[in-house]
Amino acid sequence: MSFPGLTAGKRAGIAAIGFVGLLGLAAAIVAVVTGTDLTPRWLVILLVPLIGVAFTATGMYAWARRPESWFGLQMSLVGLAWFLATLGGSDEPVLFTLGWVFGSLYAAVVIHALLGFPTGRLTSPVDRAFVIAIYALTTVVPLAQALVVPSPAGYPRNLVLISDDSGLAGIASAVLQYGSLFAAGGAVVLLLARWARATPPQRRLLAPLLWCGVATATLLTLTVIGELLHLPEGVVNAVDLAGVAIFASVPLAFLAGIVRSNLSRGQSVGQLVARLGGVGGGRGSLRDALSSALRDRSLAIAYWMPAATGVPGTPPDQGRYVDASGAAVELPRPGSGRSFTEVEREGRRVAAIIHDSSLDEEPELVRAAGAAAALTLENERLDAELRVQIAEVRASRARLLDVVTRERRRIERDLHDGAQQRLVALALTLGIAEQQVDSDPASAQALIREARGEARLALEELRELARGIHPAILTDRGLGPALEALASRAPLPVELGDVPRERLPAAVEGAAYFVVAEALANVAKYARASCAAVAVRRVNGTAVVEVRDDGVGGADPSAGSGLRGLQDRLSAIDGRLAITSLSGMGTTIRAEIPCLPTTTTSRR
Amino acid sequence: MRVVIAEDSVLLREGIVRLLEEAGHEVVGQAGDAEDLVRKVTAHRPDIAIVDVRMPPTNTDDGLRAALELRERTPETSVLVLSQYVEEGYAHELIGGGAAGVGYLLKDRVADVERFVDAVARVGEGGSALDPEVVAQLLGRRRRDDPLDALTPREREVIALMAEGRSNSAIAQELVVTERAVEKHVTSIFGKLSLPPAAQDHRRVLAVLRYLDARA
Repeated sequence: MSFPGLTAGKRAGIAAIGFVGLLGLAAAIVAVVTGTDLTPRWLVILLVPLIGVAFTATGMYAWARRPESWFGLQMSLVGLAWFLATLGGSDEPVLFTLGWVFGSLYAAVVIHALLGFPTGRLTSPVDRAFVIAIYALTTVVPLAQALVVPSPAGYPRNLVLISDDSGLAGIASAVLQYGSLFAAGGAVVLLLARWARATPPQRRLLAPLLWCGVATATLLTLTVIGELLHLPEGVVNAVDLAGVAIFASVPLAFLAGIVRSNLSRGQSVGQLVARLGGVGGGRGSLRDALSSALRDRSLAIAYWMPAATGVPGTPPDQGRYVDASGAAVELPRPGSGRSFTEVEREGRRVAAIIHDSSLDEEPELVRAAGAAAALTLENERLDAELRVQIAEVRASRARLLDVVTRERRRIERDLHDGAQQRLVALALTLGIAEQQVDSDPASAQALIREARGEARLALEELRELARGIHPAILTDRGLGPALEALASRAPLPVELGDVPRERLPAAVEGAAYFVVAEALANVAKYARASCAAVAVRRVNGTAVVEVRDDGVGGADPSAGSGLRGLQDRLSAIDGRLAITSLSGMGTTIRAEIPCLPTTTTSRR
Repeated sequence: MRVVIAEDSVLLREGIVRLLEEAGHEVVGQAGDAEDLVRKVTAHRPDIAIVDVRMPPTNTDDGLRAALELRERTPETSVLVLSQYVEEGYAHELIGGGAAGVGYLLKDRVADVERFVDAVARVGEGGSALDPEVVAQLLGRRRRDDPLDALTPREREVIALMAEGRSNSAIAQELVVTERAVEKHVTSIFGKLSLPPAAQDHRRVLAVLRYLDARA
């Protein structure tokens, strides 16, 4: 048998427990065999060493099986504490006193273990406070009692006795008795509360141990009540004995749970494999198959989406999880009550099964189910990947259409406010001139000259507009000459660095040009810079456009529509825009535009 | 003066033909695309070819390329390039080794008939004509420690007109000053920019353009 996750330290811990356990067993046997006041003798001789060994050994096994859980350690400590209690039967004063003072410690440890099962960690503050209280009750109070109560006649000497004070002894005894009632009753209540809170898969895991614990605690409660009510000793003893017997079965219940889950694991995975053969179509049928195999109705599947899939600009080693429809999925955080198990196929991540945290106690089951479903998961993952790509294409098409629509609206407005108005004025002026040609030739001539001026202005505006839509020099000569023209028109000195000499795809040239145009326009408007620098480099199939200035900085990309428009324009061709603009440090606008091979480079 | 016109817009072509014929020039050939232009110029050997930049077959800068080809093949024919927009870079390509017999104007300038006809005549006779907008681009480039900053406003006006290819008398007329005054400005400008004096107008254009270009 191999135990994953078992560190050398924990291995040594388990060995130490085994050693101490053996010592404890020896001491217990000696105490029981030589003890005088133990009835019925044969039962005690049988039960006492058996219980200690069962807890200690089961705890050692549980700890090795799940080294990250404290439950195993707690179980074995119950066994050791049990041995400690048996020392009360010894004739040796030291051992007797130890056994007397720590005789009920095992009960605190077992309640601690049951409440913390399966992780061994107490999550609710109430549980934590309760466990602290019962540890105090089983250590501090018996010690206090031993300080003031002498050992009964016929027993070894109480070594810690300070003074025989019957008043204080009465108080200590009352505290101990009512405290026991509180401890046993409280344990019943908290264990039942635990059950009520648990999800169905958790209940499956908890069932044997929890009910065993509830039964033990209930019988203990009844025993204490019986003593308080001074019921006949025979009745009280019978209840007490029944409690001890059920307590003794706690390790058995734990082992039974393991056997049960092993058996059901084989069955579940077998059924899953059979069912996967029939998983033909219909989204969710795989999920349902896994959900019933793992008996977790809340189970969900997240498919691994490598970064290259429709997510511009994510580093290649990264990716994300999506659901079957392609929407992003957040994996649960530790401690949220939900966990996930990643499924790999041929060394590549395929999917994550998101499930109830209780399944963390059965990692073999989840892994086996994941392995059985890996091929089907991979198929569904490919489906999801396709859907992500389609969604991304759709989104980018919508963005592009939006950019185009907005651009057209702007052109329409510019034409309406500019050239069109001038042409109307021009037509009007010409009309008046026509009327006056005969009556007043001189003023008609003046009007015609005026009309010519209007025409010139209209032409200038149209020229500017055409350049804004798409500069002819960019089509004719490419990025370098077009950027030179842009730089020479800029109202501040622009240093033009490297620009690829070869032609790039038209969409890339256009995007790069407008990045520089918009950036230089912003520099002129806001930056109060003394100069700017422009460079375009090709890096691994990407055109990197950079515009730097030495101005005031502090540019806010969300403030202006210009930069936002650029961002849309770039995202439509899978490009990215980054703006670095610290106050007083100038502004750097950097655009990365993928230069995918395309047929649009051909000229019209 | 014998003229070949290459312009794919028939409306504009007819307009220019009429305008030139009224000014007393002879239009010996009309071309609708770049190849036709080269063919007709080679056949007719005109004094000047007036060429639109954007023409078939590719409708990009075919006319400009044809004009450059003509400069090589038929240097005796002057070339006046018209364009819907002007780019400083194209002006450099056209002028290249010399400004003699080269013109580069915005198409809009045909509306100013008198000045356009004057530019055609000037280029046809071996002079130059550079559009004011190109000159403005050249002069408008901003850089630090610019020697042009030493020029007076009037001298800037004069250097702009020189760059356009105008003669001293034309500059004098434009600025409404005497030719003597223009000569004084020109001497002062050449002194401030440490340029060697140039006798002919087109050499002067070249010197000024080279100077402006060298500032880049």
